[in-house]
Amino acid sequence: MHIADLFLDTSAEPGQLKCLALRKEEEAMSEVILMIHPALGVLAILATVWALVEALNAAPVRHWRLRAATLSGAVLIWLTYVVGGYWYLVFYAADKALIKKGPWPFAHNLVMESKEHVFLLLLLLATYLPVVAWRNLEQRPGARTLVIAIAALVVLTGLGMEGAGAVISMGVKTALLSKPV
Amino acid sequence: MTNLNATPARLGSAGTDPDRLGDATLCFGLSFAVTSLFDALLVVLKEINEDSLLAWMKAATGHHWVTHGVMSFALFVILGLAFQRLGIGRTLSANLLTAIVVGSMGLSALIMVGFYLVY
Repeated sequence: MHIADLFLDTSAEPGQLKCLALRKEEEAMSEVILMIHPALGVLAILATVWALVEALNAAPVRHWRLRAATLSGAVLIWLTYVVGGYWYLVFYAADKALIKKGPWPFAHNLVMESKEHVFLLLLLLATYLPVVAWRNLEQRPGARTLVIAIAALVVLTGLGMEGAGAVISMGVKTALLSKPV
Repeated sequence: MTNLNATPARLGSAGTDPDRLGDATLCFGLSFAVTSLFDALLVVLKEINEDSLLAWMKAATGHHWVTHGVMSFALFVILGLAFQRLGIGRTLSANLLTAIVVGSMGLSALIMVGFYLVY
């Protein structure tokens, strides 16, 4: 039974309703976190695209901007990790059960499992990027190539994470829609 | 007189070779490569050893994913610092390090996704 149906149940005791109200608050919290997590991810991708552009046009005057862009990207990826990790640990169990019983079990078995582990690589890569970008790039073509390659990897993997998140959401949606009304 | 045969190792960390990368870049790049492959291997090992390794990882922090993340980040930092101290990887060229970083990321992601595809 869905939580909304329980609220419509007139035979519910006050204690039960309080418990349900708390659960509803938790659900709202879960939804808010679910919006913040991909939003931070998108901001991290945008910051890394900014870093990529600065590296492609490396010049002494742009160096502080490259440092700012790579540092922002790293901080935003860490925030994405912390917020997404909190949601995963606290709220994901219910969605996981739904997905596994729904028509898209691969949304958990393949997509979520891959996403949560590939994200750890993305986290390290985004943390490593400011280390590479810290020194002046305009006189160091080798370092510039490395920054461009890492930034491109972070952007592509980040976009993959966003897409994977969409598939997981669809896994929950198809599971809910497949339930008889 | 400029020594045209000077290698990055001979030039040292303060060398003027434009392709010479900093020590931190080289050592943490190598550390990333090793850590990413360790992560991929750990994914496979913990999933096929649910009763031992996965159970231990769950018990260590309350969730296997948290333990995995802590181990991964700790290994990245420790290996990076150890490589710097031991001078490992200082002779790598920028192009080779780029290939190693990109290749290890691609291979590790492929192992993880491929494993869950067949597991």
